[in-house]
Amino acid sequence: MVSEPIVYASLGVGLSVFLSVIGASIGISISAPAIAGAGTERPEIVSKSLIATILAEAIAIYGLVVGLLSIFRLTSLTPADTDIAFRIFSGGLIMGIAAVAAGIAIGTSGSALASATAEKPELFSRAVVPLILAEALAIYAFVAALLLVI
Amino acid sequence: MLRDTVVHLLRDNFTEAKIRGKKRYLLERQQLQSLTEFKSQAEVIGFLADSPYGPELSKLPDSASPAEAERTIGESLARTVENIEASAKGNVRQFIVEYRRRYDAPDLARLLVFKLQGRLWEDYATRSSLGTLSEKQLRKLYNIENPRDLIEEMADQTLEGRLENMQLESPSPDKAAFIRDIIVGWGDERFYAYASNELTGRDRSSCIPIIGSAIDLGNISIILRGKLLGLADIRSHLVPVYWKLDSKTLESLLTAEDIQQAFDRISAHRYYRRILGGSRQKYEETKSLAFMEVLAREHFARLSHEIFLGIPYNIGVILAFFVLKENEARNLSAVLSGIDAGLAPEQIRTLLAT
Repeated sequence: MVSEPIVYASLGVGLSVFLSVIGASIGISISAPAIAGAGTERPEIVSKSLIATILAEAIAIYGLVVGLLSIFRLTSLTPADTDIAFRIFSGGLIMGIAAVAAGIAIGTSGSALASATAEKPELFSRAVVPLILAEALAIYAFVAALLLVI
Repeated sequence: MLRDTVVHLLRDNFTEAKIRGKKRYLLERQQLQSLTEFKSQAEVIGFLADSPYGPELSKLPDSASPAEAERTIGESLARTVENIEASAKGNVRQFIVEYRRRYDAPDLARLLVFKLQGRLWEDYATRSSLGTLSEKQLRKLYNIENPRDLIEEMADQTLEGRLENMQLESPSPDKAAFIRDIIVGWGDERFYAYASNELTGRDRSSCIPIIGSAIDLGNISIILRGKLLGLADIRSHLVPVYWKLDSKTLESLLTAEDIQQAFDRISAHRYYRRILGGSRQKYEETKSLAFMEVLAREHFARLSHEIFLGIPYNIGVILAFFVLKENEARNLSAVLSGIDAGLAPEQIRTLLAT
């Protein structure tokens, strides 16, 4: 079994970027059709509802930032730095899993936001709160991952 | 159940959001009630100019009859359903096709009654735009001389059996309504069979209350009309599918001595008393069963509003919207007909299901 620290650290980078992209794509692919559907009836709400896809895209950026910061540390990694390697691996895993969870939450709440706003536009300011809370899930993981990898 | 929800979330959220957007344009109860105060059809059409009915109604000439306006409203309803059908996929699309097929039954019922009453094809202007049968197919059916051959051609053996022991020629208005109820019940039965056999989980549980109670109310209507006509064998005309109408209640309705007793018995039913409670009094006042259709529509509208309050990702939302939209179209038709007939606003309001 490979036990080189560089392998675990690289795996952490991969998980962070790959799972964050998956999370973002889930969020966008669930919310975007609903925004488009709502827009066919009420075009004026599309720009407001796009917040769901923007927040979903932000998840991928969090993962990318964690991945890039991890890569910077990879260059100075020696075979003795197992603790740093496991911190990078854990940071990537935390960011990746949280990104998928947040992506699902943003997708479903973004879809519901678009539907609700299409029916009652006055609901937007309140219906957007779950979407922001879903994004906060990814931010918690982002902060934890940063503390681990830096 | 979870699988269905995920499939609808991923595949049908475009359609679902579209429906929510369309639902916003449904007329509110107060708007409908204020329409009853209008003095002419032109005023009503002017009021509806900015509504989804606007594009179709604006093409109507000022001299259009209520029947023409009613047909235009029907066309607008059909356009809405077709628009949703166009964006639907998978079993949602199939559901909408089956929903539209349900409208073939009222079309065929009207056609048969027209034929039996010896009326001209040119008068047959109330074809539902939602049905799947084309004008050409209906015309072909109309040209069949013998009513029994017409029934054989237009339906299956199930319906033939239900109309078998009936004198069809020159029906009275009540008899014509009885025939219509039997044929509409046959259409509802097909839709119920589809929903029972093909839908699963939340899709099924959200749709069945509306489709099932439509069958039950149809059967109750057949029994009441049968009593009114003094028929000895009503059972053979019933749809052999029951939802909340248990066999004990059904038997008690069939054995009721007259229509008043039947009303009393159905008013005691644990589910239907909330819909038909007090219906005997309404019948005594109007001497007609027309109010039953309004009560049924109110019930379906109530169920539809409940569906919209629940978890959104299921086929029930689509059925609920169609029910509300159709109810609105029928309410508008009632307003136009009422104004044309010179009814007072209070009288027209009794025809509205809000």
